[in-house]
Amino acid sequence: MSILYLLIPLALLLLAGAVWAFFWAVGSGQFDDLDTPAVRVIMDDDERPPEDRTE
Amino acid sequence: MASADTCFHCALPIPANCDIRVEIGGEQRPVCCPGCKAVATLIRDAGLTRYYDSRDRPDPGAVRPAEDAGEWQVFDREDMLAAFSTRDGNTAEATIYVGGMYCAACSWLIDAALRKLPGIANADINPVTHRLRVAWDTSSTGLGRILATLADLGYKPQPLAPDSTERPERAEQRLALKRLLVASLGMMQVMMFAVALYSGEFQGIDADMERFLRLVSFIVTTPVVFYAARPFFTGAIRGLRARRPGMDVPVSIAIGIAYVASVYSTYTNGPDVWYDSVTMFVFFLTVARYLEMRARHRSVDRSAALASLLPNTATRLEDGQRRQVPVAQLAAGDIVLVRAGESFPADGAITAGRTSVDESMLTGESHSQEKSTGDTVVAGSVNLDGIVEMRVDVTGTDTTLGTIGRLSERARYARPAFVQLADRVASYIVVGILALAATVAVSWYLIDPERAFVITLSVLVVTCPCALALATPTAFAAAGSRLSDLHLLVTNGNAIETLSRATHIVFDKTGTLTRGMPEVVQTDAHDPEFTAQDCLQIAAALEVASTHPIARAFTRHESALTATNIEIRVGAGVEGIVDGRRWLLGKAGFVPGAAPAAADETATQVFLGTGGRIVATFTIADTLREDAANTLKNLEKMGYSLSLVSGDGEAPVARAAATLGISDARSSCTPDDKLSRINALQQQGEVVVMVGDGINDAPVLAGADVSIAPSHAASLAQSSADVLMLGDSLHPIVTLMQAARRTMRIVRQNLTWAIVYNVSAVPLAAAGFVPPWLAAIGMSTSSLVVVLNALRLSRIR
Repeated sequence: MSILYLLIPLALLLLAGAVWAFFWAVGSGQFDDLDTPAVRVIMDDDERPPEDRTE
Repeated sequence: MASADTCFHCALPIPANCDIRVEIGGEQRPVCCPGCKAVATLIRDAGLTRYYDSRDRPDPGAVRPAEDAGEWQVFDREDMLAAFSTRDGNTAEATIYVGGMYCAACSWLIDAALRKLPGIANADINPVTHRLRVAWDTSSTGLGRILATLADLGYKPQPLAPDSTERPERAEQRLALKRLLVASLGMMQVMMFAVALYSGEFQGIDADMERFLRLVSFIVTTPVVFYAARPFFTGAIRGLRARRPGMDVPVSIAIGIAYVASVYSTYTNGPDVWYDSVTMFVFFLTVARYLEMRARHRSVDRSAALASLLPNTATRLEDGQRRQVPVAQLAAGDIVLVRAGESFPADGAITAGRTSVDESMLTGESHSQEKSTGDTVVAGSVNLDGIVEMRVDVTGTDTTLGTIGRLSERARYARPAFVQLADRVASYIVVGILALAATVAVSWYLIDPERAFVITLSVLVVTCPCALALATPTAFAAAGSRLSDLHLLVTNGNAIETLSRATHIVFDKTGTLTRGMPEVVQTDAHDPEFTAQDCLQIAAALEVASTHPIARAFTRHESALTATNIEIRVGAGVEGIVDGRRWLLGKAGFVPGAAPAAADETATQVFLGTGGRIVATFTIADTLREDAANTLKNLEKMGYSLSLVSGDGEAPVARAAATLGISDARSSCTPDDKLSRINALQQQGEVVVMVGDGINDAPVLAGADVSIAPSHAASLAQSSADVLMLGDSLHPIVTLMQAARRTMRIVRQNLTWAIVYNVSAVPLAAAGFVPPWLAAIGMSTSSLVVVLNALRLSRIR
């Protein structure tokens, strides 16, 4: 069981890392708009305009 | 998406006899006007047609192209750039309010279109606040080009001055999210250690390991208490200072003493620690707070509301020179040139020229007003057909428009506030809880001093109003998110509660019960040489250049003909040559030989004539929405009394009321009349719901107990409304009223459950049967029951 003395502090470090990463994400505005990114993935492929147009 | 008889782009109904198509995705799509055709073609040619696949059902008309594509180049000028952006070397950043966007696909379209411009460094658009923050390289692109791109897509961009851009809500939202995360992660970790500690109590645990786990729990709990739970402590202190203690006080005491006692116990190796209770407690309360805050923030941006009615710039005459300046720089005494189609930037008087002015947004009067030298004009009204010069008398918030804005603010604050009542009741409960806890502490100290602390802590945790606190916000949040799926946006948290008690619904006419848009409802051709179709085409060709609202009824029909030598006769009509003939289109007095039929205010008659004879009579009217009668009948069946108040004249109001079966109808109402009518109803004990869309409705919307505005409403009306209806139908009102009643039923169930739980658990805890961990689990379960019950609301249809 003495391995816990190593594993638990390690888990706490990971926890601190996760909190830091989340704070950074919130601070950089990633949680400000939760609707647009969901559709953006579907739409982002570029599309060619129809070939037959005359200009 | 768009059905066969609505416009593929803007979803407005396609006028009869109109056949304009755009090829998109290999198919010919019908659109309603040449403007929509242009925008759809632009979107297609930029390779962005996915916009059409991904957007929600559009609000009819919301994305209609602006009919006056302003001169955006002026924004490229250096002083304009300085007024609307912040500069850092060659990089400028500006915030632009984008009117007319309504869903996530819009924000994608804007983003994708802007990124195709050279030199755009960053474009960040928020679909909720409709604000676009864009950073760009000034050497390759100008602000004018960015604005023009947005306008070309059919949106109504409006640059905002830099100081008004940062909303405090955003910072609050971010902080609350961080606190929620710290509380939830901390709670999960501490629970894990707690499980180990509890099983250790039964199975035996190494003393060192127990001390270690307690120490680790202490490390994790500390940020939860000092960071995540901080608002409870500050709230408690604020409440005590104001001598009005809220729920924060017992909550803070429970958190505080449980934490301090646990730390003490950890330090001295005492028998118990309560870190698990502390973190769970903080977590559930933080969730409740977060839901409440989300509901509060879903409101319409007020700061842009007033400004969006005014033009961005005005043409000031300086020593005979015309110069475009930002409207904010206008001062009393300036002379400003206002072209046809522009809106007046300030209150003042006309100094030269003659025109007709559309003041319908301000007065509700649907007919335009003739104005010439010396007449006063108000900011926000639209100059329809002439070019005039005006002297600026009053600017900004002192204008009529600003006054209406202030009036609605005031009416809003004068509302009966349930919140304050709830706060007062809360402080009694708080004092009760504290007295109870003190009594329990003293009694147990006399009976068994060793158990006194643990039992007091249990009482404080059990009496925690968690479920009570969650009961209302979770139900409102669930109902709110479901309603927004059903195209109803609830912007005021109290609205649902009030709606469920409503007894009387008052409707505005123009734009609410009617479409608010003139349409050609009848064409009578008097000359066998021309069919009705020919006449419409000729009229559409003649009206091409006109900005008059009546002209729009014609220009929605595409014309194969072109008119030359078009001359607009202010306040009378237009004249021009089509196919070699001189045509007149306009009022009875303008077209020779025209005899108006029976005077009927509900419709406007427009005559088409040539060579001294009359060829056709068009009847133009603002028609009732298709589902208006049906919706009103349903509402009446649900037991609501209905009224109609309108700024329009007597005849059209009476006719609409008769068609819809409303017995209580009032016409020619000013905003004040409407407000006093509502106040009179309220004094009779009615709970009044107001449905309206114009600026003149704003004070009434704010003064009514609850107000509903359709999404095409003036932004001032929107910002005064508690509920926004997206889409072009009135039926959502019925859904809304049903949903409100159902929500309050759930809230009552929740409150009953929470109170029954608390009341029955308190004696057990006081008697010493509930250890703190059981109290915390009981509290969580009861909170969970409340949340799950509230989630049933997401099945409303």
